[in-house]
Amino acid sequence: MTSRLMVRVLVTLVAFAVLARIPVGFDVGFKFDSGLAVIWAFGLLSLVLLTGYVGQISLCQATFAGVGAYAAGMMTATFHVDYIVAVAVGVAAAFALGIIVGLPALRLHGITLAIVTLGIALVFDRYVFQDHAFEWFTGGTGGWSVREASMFGLQMDSSKHLMAAYVVLLALFCLVGLLMVNLHDSGAGRRFRAIRDSELAAATMGVDLTRYKLLAFGMSAAIAGLGGAFYPLVAGNVSPQPFWLFTSLQFAAIAVLMGVRYVPAAALGGAFMAFVPDVLTRFGHGSLFGHQYEISYDWFQIAVGVLLIVQLIALPDGVWGDLRHRVRHARSAVGALGGRRVKVA
Amino acid sequence: MAALAAYTIIGLSLGGIFSLAALGIVLIYRTTGVLNFAHGAMGMFSTFVAWQVFYGWSHPFWPGWISTLLAVIAGLVFAALMGLFLEFAIFRWVRTRDPVVKAVITIGVLLALQSAASLIWKNNQYHLPIYLAPQAATFTIADVPIGANNIVVIVAALLLAFGLGAFLRYTSFGRAMRAVSDSPTSASLWGVAVGRVGAVSWMLGSLVAAVAGILITPFINFDTTSLTLLIIDALAAALIGGLVSLPLTVLGGFLLGLLETYPTIWIQSIGFPRLVALLVILAVLVVRNPRGFAVAAK
Repeated sequence: MTSRLMVRVLVTLVAFAVLARIPVGFDVGFKFDSGLAVIWAFGLLSLVLLTGYVGQISLCQATFAGVGAYAAGMMTATFHVDYIVAVAVGVAAAFALGIIVGLPALRLHGITLAIVTLGIALVFDRYVFQDHAFEWFTGGTGGWSVREASMFGLQMDSSKHLMAAYVVLLALFCLVGLLMVNLHDSGAGRRFRAIRDSELAAATMGVDLTRYKLLAFGMSAAIAGLGGAFYPLVAGNVSPQPFWLFTSLQFAAIAVLMGVRYVPAAALGGAFMAFVPDVLTRFGHGSLFGHQYEISYDWFQIAVGVLLIVQLIALPDGVWGDLRHRVRHARSAVGALGGRRVKVA
Repeated sequence: MAALAAYTIIGLSLGGIFSLAALGIVLIYRTTGVLNFAHGAMGMFSTFVAWQVFYGWSHPFWPGWISTLLAVIAGLVFAALMGLFLEFAIFRWVRTRDPVVKAVITIGVLLALQSAASLIWKNNQYHLPIYLAPQAATFTIADVPIGANNIVVIVAALLLAFGLGAFLRYTSFGRAMRAVSDSPTSASLWGVAVGRVGAVSWMLGSLVAAVAGILITPFINFDTTSLTLLIIDALAAALIGGLVSLPLTVLGGFLLGLLETYPTIWIQSIGFPRLVALLVILAVLVVRNPRGFAVAAK
């Protein structure tokens, strides 16, 4: 067990070292994308916990991220606190909303839960984030702008110190990801998976459904909110658009597409979600055989929709899950050739 | 008093549209077990096809009613074909899968349709509606002026609901559809072509969504997202009907329309009606036993 933990820590450290170096030397646009990729990866990671581990469907993860972003933006723009305090407030606000959303989930599951969370995402998108009644929280139509922000006394704002924010975000993601992988086999993780497999059986075995379902929703919202709380730092401002309903739907679609049960799939999905649209709009225009073409952001969402449909029909465990199974098969095939004993899972 | 009556008319028109959108959802859910989150997006796409025929491709010298007729026919034919295509390309292959998986697939359909529409028609708000009745025509009942288009919506919703109900009750194909919604396995043992029933449900559901989309154009500045997001109101109405009952669904649609309209007397907000819809959904799900919906999927 401890050796497995050592391997996981080592792999995480290597991944962190490699990923932290990648954006160096690229232009500001790509550095911004890198930061955004980690923020979206947090959103997808929150679904790995909620859907992959606990089996609860949610279509309002971008709402949790948005609440984290707005709370952090409000704290820095109006109270000028250290950014770490702003992040803490953002995470706490998202956690609280997660618990509230979890309350109806105590009675619901499956498609009815999907309907309720879709409604919550729409209400926050159209009402809370855009209505005059909530200007104290959203900063009006312009949103909050974060110019001078510092964390532990280090300057970290979008204009000059984007890389610092990215490295902090990435380190946090690696930490939370590692905790999530370890959670899978822990006592709480086993209770979560028991709820996923059968709520009735889990309750019979003595799992406190109320406590663990609320905990799952709160933790998941806090993870999404942690990513969202860094959005003002990376983007320099907060607006309703990044956290609207369609981002929530994209979170659900991409999390399932990449493999909703696996932590690395969240990182893969975050990079997919941040880089592909930008690369498309940057390089997706020109002329081919004298015919002008232009690939806009809309093509990205069409691709996500179509890929999701194809994946659900053909590869039910997602892209990462399928890759994992293939690698396992190949390894056991090689092992069988060498005459070694193969562990049958 | 007159203001209240005017708001009631607006609420009933809106309710008629919610009813129509919800009818399609209930129809598809009952016969195929797919809770269609893309229903609003499907209606939106067909509406834009009709709009394109009406404003883009029709000849200026044609009389207005020919353009309207052609636009509506084009929209409805497109809707039926799209429903058929979705059934044959996607939902035929996932019939035995979990209801949640099918619902997530419709989210993929939603994303693809929404982006395809915004790619073709851009993200503008369109202020040019398709009027089925002359825009200025009004009737006055008890000193309350009622727009002819409002009456068209309310009557169309009631007619389609009763028509659909009669189709399910009195025709042999309707009987086959009800048999499939009770149990696909035993229906197929009795010789019902389950695949054909699914295809017809998708066609009919998509048609009704297109009717709802075309009828709503005089009442809102429509764009690709606002019609797609009609789904939440339609789902609320469908939940009032327990995802099975057509009469309760229609009643729920009208009720929701009124509930969403009356607060706008005091509260000027685009988002507030959505909050009403969410509260209705929560109220229905807390009062009713949610396990009933899961049983209906089988």
